Order: sequence, then C-alpha cells, then structure tokens
Amino acid sequence: MDALSMGLVAAMGALATVAGASEDIDSDIGSQSNPNSQVQLAAQVGNPHRIYNKAIAGEPPSNALWCTTAAIVAYMLIEAFQMPALFSIALGASVAALFDGVMSMSAYFGRNASQKRFNQWVYLDIVRYTTPSIMAHVWITSFCIVTITYIQVYVLTPHHPFPIPVIALIWGLTVGAIGSSVGDIHYGGEREFQWRLFGQGLSTMLSGQIVRKAEAGLRNSIDNAWFCAKFGGPATGMGFGLTVFLDNWRTTVFDPVSQALLAIGTGVFFVIVMNLYNFYLERSARRKYGPYPGYKGDIAA
Amino acid sequence: MNFDATTIIYILEIVVGGLLVGIGVHFVPVGGAPAAMAQATGIGTGTVQLAAGSGLTGLLSAGLMMSVTDNLWPIIATGAVGAMIMIDATMLTGSWIYAYAVGAPFASAKVNYDPITGFSQPPYVAPGTVGQGIPTICYVSGTIGAAMGGVGGALIYYPLVMINNNPSLSAVFAIGIFLVNAVLASWNIQGTIEGFHDPKFKKWPAAFKACLVSTFILALVAVIITGGA
Repeated sequence: MDALSMGLVAAMGALATVAGASEDIDSDIGSQSNPNSQVQLAAQVGNPHRIYNKAIAGEPPSNALWCTTAAIVAYMLIEAFQMPALFSIALGASVAALFDGVMSMSAYFGRNASQKRFNQWVYLDIVRYTTPSIMAHVWITSFCIVTITYIQVYVLTPHHPFPIPVIALIWGLTVGAIGSSVGDIHYGGEREFQWRLFGQGLSTMLSGQIVRKAEAGLRNSIDNAWFCAKFGGPATGMGFGLTVFLDNWRTTVFDPVSQALLAIGTGVFFVIVMNLYNFYLERSARRKYGPYPGYKGDIAA
Repeated sequence: MNFDATTIIYILEIVVGGLLVGIGVHFVPVGGAPAAMAQATGIGTGTVQLAAGSGLTGLLSAGLMMSVTDNLWPIIATGAVGAMIMIDATMLTGSWIYAYAVGAPFASAKVNYDPITGFSQPPYVAPGTVGQGIPTICYVSGTIGAAMGGVGGALIYYPLVMINNNPSLSAVFAIGIFLVNAVLASWNIQGTIEGFHDPKFKKWPAAFKACLVSTFILALVAVIITGGA
C-alpha cells in the first residue's frame, strides 16, 4: 500500500459516486427503466402528461452501451493517436452523449406518437429542453466511468488485465443495475405517486395514476430531476461508490499476492456489516410505520 | 491445441461455473418493475441485469487477482466477495429509499414468518401489493446468490485464461457464458422471485438441466475458439 494508490482508490470512489448519481438522474429525467411502465400506462388510463418518455433499453444495457462507446473512442485516441487521456475521455463521452441524444429523441417521438389514440401529444418544447439535460448527464456518467477504467488499467497497481472497453462495459452494466435497483424506487415509488398514503406499499389499483401537476404549473421531467437529485440520485451514487471503493480498497490496502486471505476476509467483513445494517433498517421501518391498520388476518404483528 | 485430460477438466470447470450462475440467479430477490413502485418484495430491477451487474463485478475482481496469481482458490473467493459487495451495497442503498423516502415496512408476501428473524410478515403487507422492501431473508438470499454468481464467473474465466493467456478474450467469453445462464434461469423463474424461501425456488432443477446443456456446448465452443486463437 502506498499513498498514491490510496489516493487513486479514493478518487475512483468519488468518481463512481458522481457517476451513479448522474446515471440515476439521467434515467429519472428520461423516465427510463422501471417507472417508465407507469408513465407509459398513464396515457392509456386517461392521464396524458408532459413527462419525457424514453425507454431505449433497460438501464444496465443502455449504460453499458454509452460507457463502452465512450471507452472505445477514448481507447482509440489514446492508443492509436497518442492523444492526452483527459481530452480523449472527454471526446469519448461526447460521442456517447450524442448517441444517447439520437436514441432518446427517437424513443420519445416513437412512444408518444404511438399513443395518439389516447390523446397523448408530442411536445416539441419538452424535446428541446429535456434532451440536452439527458445528454449532459450521460456525458458525466460516461466521463466518470471511463476515467475509473483508465485509472484501473494504466495507473493503479496492479494494473487491471482487461482492456478499457471491457471494464467500461462491466462498470456500465453495474452502474445501470444499481441505478435501476436504487434510484428508480425514489422516482417510481415516491415521486410518481406523491398523494398515496405514506407508510405502506403502493396498491396496484393506483397503477397509471401518476402525479401530473408540479409545484407550479404542469409537471415535466426537469421537475422530477429536481426532486430525485435530493435523495434517489445521491443514494444511487453511494451504492455504486461503495461498490467501486470497497472492492478496490481491500486489494489496495492488502497485497493481493502475499495477503490474499486478508483482502478476502476484509470483503467478507464488509458484507456481514451491510447485512446487519439492513436488519437494523428493517426493524426501524417496521417500528416506524407499523402494521397495516386494516389487516384482518390471525397472525399477530 | 491438444485435447487432453487438462482440457476436459477446464471444460468441466466452465460447466460448473455456468451451473453456479444459473442456480445463483434463483437466490437473487428481484421484484421487477412492481418492486420499484413498492408493490412487490425484492430489488426493483430485472433478474438478468442484477445478476450480471453483481457477477461481472466479481469477474473484474477475479480478473485482477488472476493477473497476480494462478492459484484457483483466491481467484474464486475474491470473485465471490466482489459480487457480494456489489449486491449488498445495492440492496442497502435501496433499503434506505424504502425506509426513508417511500416509507414502507419491509415484508415478504411468500412466507408468514421470516425464517431468519422470525418477524411476522402478513400484517405489514398492504392490500393490492405482494410485499415491499427487502426483508432480512431476501437480503441474505441475495448475498448467497451473488456469491454463487461471482464464483461461477470466476470459474468460467479461470480455465479460459489458463488455455489462451489472453484476459481480454477470456473476459468477453466469460461475460457471454454468464449472460446465457442468467437468462435461462430468469425464464425459469418468470422474471421475479423473492429468494430461496419463495415457492418458485423449487423449480431450480429445470434451470439446472437447461444450463447444463447450454454451458456444455458453450464450453466446448469457447475452449476450441479461444484455444485456437
């Protein structure tokens, strides 16, 4: 372990936290992934809306695509043209953002045009000012993830044996899986259904009845980003940051060759602590919200 | 390349790895889109996506370990730990949102009492939902599933590198074999499952057979292609 490696691992953790947060906010602005089912359904049950609707793919494959695209461009510029790393990564992220912009717009036009019979309109103003926000967040995500892979492959010792695009593919899949598992709950469970009863799960009766009015005027996707950036985004960032930081920290502090057992043992220790923390959360949520008031079964709470 | 006893052992290792991935997916508590709306127990995403996210994080750790040692045990152990860290961090931060933002008590709709904590479940399940949040039993089940996925990924990767000494090529083949098994298992559980306490878990022998056949074919192909490269 040396000071430089520890600093690099800390930087990777910080970059991962930013990447996770921006990935989640990107999916919230575009209503990608799981909560998109409700946005899609809303118009069909008589609630046309002004929320952006892009479901290019599940979050993991789409983010894997953006990150790999950025990584391939950056890798090519670094290896074939000896360009500076920062410039190459920035250019790669820009190409990924452009790809994302094209696909987001075609997804929005296609989905909303197909719902014409439900009185759902295609809003050109929404396309104009929401698409650049989506692209900007994809740029941040791709930039951070390709920078992490660059550090892993070229700077951090031991150097990772996989090439940059393969690591970017895996981190892209992972950040998408975390964004889809963590941040989506905040957008889907909390923001889309703000007038449901607090302290219980969401009844399927409410499917498609999403909130369409904002704090001022009609709600659009930028309002959703404003809300989700307060908790869902940072929590996703924390999830991805913890994954990248803890996983690399244990093999940096302990030498993977001579202290392999310690590196593995530390990982197991983290896993046990997280299991116990979830048990604490479960207990506190049960105590705070209590059993369902109308429960008529014979099993005691 | 020579098709000797070592090659057969490598093929068997890939098959065992594929089977571990296929069975491991059955442990991961995924509720799909309804879980993201607090309408179902588990993690609010797709089975394959989460299994791939965790298993491939394990593959990254295993790849790093394999660049410094040829010993199989630390490689598969570090693969398992990498995958467990990823899935635990994901479930933990997801639980923050269930507990502090959405505001839902964690409850499973598949059992009356949590087999680990003994907590009663039905009183906490709101009508119109099939549970919500990630109770302890699901969390532990997910951790076990991720460990199996991580070990599986490492077991697929290890023999390929031993054959061709090319980490990039081996990683791409390992990702492919991993995803095939994850998708097969996902079809078997029809997209959602709560963990090893879910009645759907009893269907694992079907996935076992399917994964056995598919991984065997893939292992042959992978060994021949990467070995000849």
